[in-house]
Amino acid sequence: MVSTQTLIFGLVIGSYIGLAAIGFSLIHGLVNMFNIAHGEYMTIGAYLSFVLMNQLGLGLFVSLVLGIAATSIAGLAIAKFFYQPLYETGPIPLLLTSIGLSFLLRNVIQLGFGADNKYLEGGLTGVYRTDALGGFFLQYSQALVIALALLTILLLHLLLTRTELGIAMRATSNNETLAQITGVATIRIRDYVWLLASGTAGLSGILLAQQRTLTPALGYNDILIILTAAILGGAGNVYGAVAAGFFLGIVSATATSMLPSGMASLATSVIFFMLIVALIVKSHVIEGNRGVIAT
Amino acid sequence: MIGDRLKLLSNPGIFGSAALLAGIALLASRLLLYPPGNAFVFIEVGILFLFYGLLVLGLNLQYGFTGIINFGHVLFFGVGGYATAMLVAPESARGIALGLPWPIGLAGAIIAAALVAGIVGFASLPLREEYVAIATLAAAELFTDVTANLPSITGGAIGYVSIPQPINIWAGGHYGTFLTSTLLVMIGVLSFGYVVFRRLTDGPYGRVLRAIRADKEITDTIGKHVFRYEMEVFVFAAIVAAIAGSIYALFIGAAAPGLYTADVTFLLWIGMLVGGAGNHRGVLAGLGIVMAFELLTRFLNDLPYYTSQQFGALRLAMIGLLLIVIVRYRPEGIWGNAKEQGIE
Repeated sequence: MVSTQTLIFGLVIGSYIGLAAIGFSLIHGLVNMFNIAHGEYMTIGAYLSFVLMNQLGLGLFVSLVLGIAATSIAGLAIAKFFYQPLYETGPIPLLLTSIGLSFLLRNVIQLGFGADNKYLEGGLTGVYRTDALGGFFLQYSQALVIALALLTILLLHLLLTRTELGIAMRATSNNETLAQITGVATIRIRDYVWLLASGTAGLSGILLAQQRTLTPALGYNDILIILTAAILGGAGNVYGAVAAGFFLGIVSATATSMLPSGMASLATSVIFFMLIVALIVKSHVIEGNRGVIAT
Repeated sequence: MIGDRLKLLSNPGIFGSAALLAGIALLASRLLLYPPGNAFVFIEVGILFLFYGLLVLGLNLQYGFTGIINFGHVLFFGVGGYATAMLVAPESARGIALGLPWPIGLAGAIIAAALVAGIVGFASLPLREEYVAIATLAAAELFTDVTANLPSITGGAIGYVSIPQPINIWAGGHYGTFLTSTLLVMIGVLSFGYVVFRRLTDGPYGRVLRAIRADKEITDTIGKHVFRYEMEVFVFAAIVAAIAGSIYALFIGAAAPGLYTADVTFLLWIGMLVGGAGNHRGVLAGLGIVMAFELLTRFLNDLPYYTSQQFGALRLAMIGLLLIVIVRYRPEGIWGNAKEQGIE
């Protein structure tokens, strides 16, 4: 049986995987590309919060807001400069460019900040302990990660269902040509999607930096897991991506707790294996030209 | 007369045989070679280029000719290395170690790669092209992850460090002779590989592959079994990669997860795209350019202000930028044929 403690670890991992998978999935649905550099947006967010908190001494919440805003703008600028000229060439040149960009950004970050481990200062400290439910502890920073992830998902849900912009986004994702015909400026919609995707990735990175040591490969290390969540959740399906993110988080935490200590990192292997299985299973579910099978 | 003989050497098969014979002769003669001290790094990178050259030829057969996007090609280099390590390493090693002679190790590498490529290909090739990329990438990551975490089977994160090195043994442990003869032997192996790939793609078989790349459905309609061709190409390139991996493990005497990371696959991809997919010589030259660039920037390490780690980062950043620039401004590569690659 999964203990409460393992469940908490799983929810924390799931929170930032889910948050990052939202943007990855949106971009996959709307721009029709796998953005391998998505992990680097997380790293950018994390290092921005390092600058804001450690070097400028700003508070956690101010840093969160500024960090998310700056990552969104950086993400949009990157898309305008690197991706937009390739929108018409199909998914492969975009995929290759995103790999190049991932190398470029990761190593530029390393040139700027060095490869050594960094630790955030000024995050939430303190732990809540209880003997209830078999006994567990919850760091306040962990509670913050889960709460912010849930809040973001709620806001995103409202955006997608209650606002004209959100509805236009869904329409574009569903059928770009039809959306264009009905008067949606799809290029502008893509710009908003880039803002949203990189902003949520930035948030995910900032939250991740509260939990782990900060290195230039912070986001890159998780990109395949994020990709797995996005694929498991279905192309462009935001809710699916979030659910898959939490599912993978709990799977990963459970696997880590059950594997012998020397083999704990096999938890990632479990996820990669699930990715391959998911792809094969999906190849039998034909979803027209949005499906994963060759048409 | 001498001119005619020299012309013969421009035939890669004859050139390769000559290099191979020279390498074997060097070993048999028990000559001790002393390359100048600063030449070693060039020879070492040159040897690595010859190994990666075998990989890039296979990758090019898959992508440049058939249109298969394989982001996990390093997997088969690793499978070859580990199969050989497990069979050949002395029994004192940490993981499985059988202490068998090296030709069995090489044969084991080929069989293991054919099996793994059969499974990975069968599962991933029916998918749409970008999903093939993701599935193969995940398969390669799965491999390095699993090997790093099963110490009793694969030696864990350290892997194998004491695989007997046949050429080194024949060279009597003399490093200069060992390196030079390995270089010559590998020039021979790569030349043979080049001839085989050339033969394969110049004939009717290659025309079918190019047709698959251009349009799968039409190729299927005219009665060519697309999936079977794709499987053949996938498994064949994997076997070549495993041969390279096997010889590489016997050359450096080691196999470890860190030797088989996705960075190798990306380096191959960048070399292939720079040179021009679909052109055997082009992809080799492209890989050469990228590796030479890496080597030359290494010497800049001696400059003050920067640590070698920072230079590594600068180098990788520039290689990433190179990929972006090539895809955007010259998608067919330097020696590629834009029309054949379907680029307008």
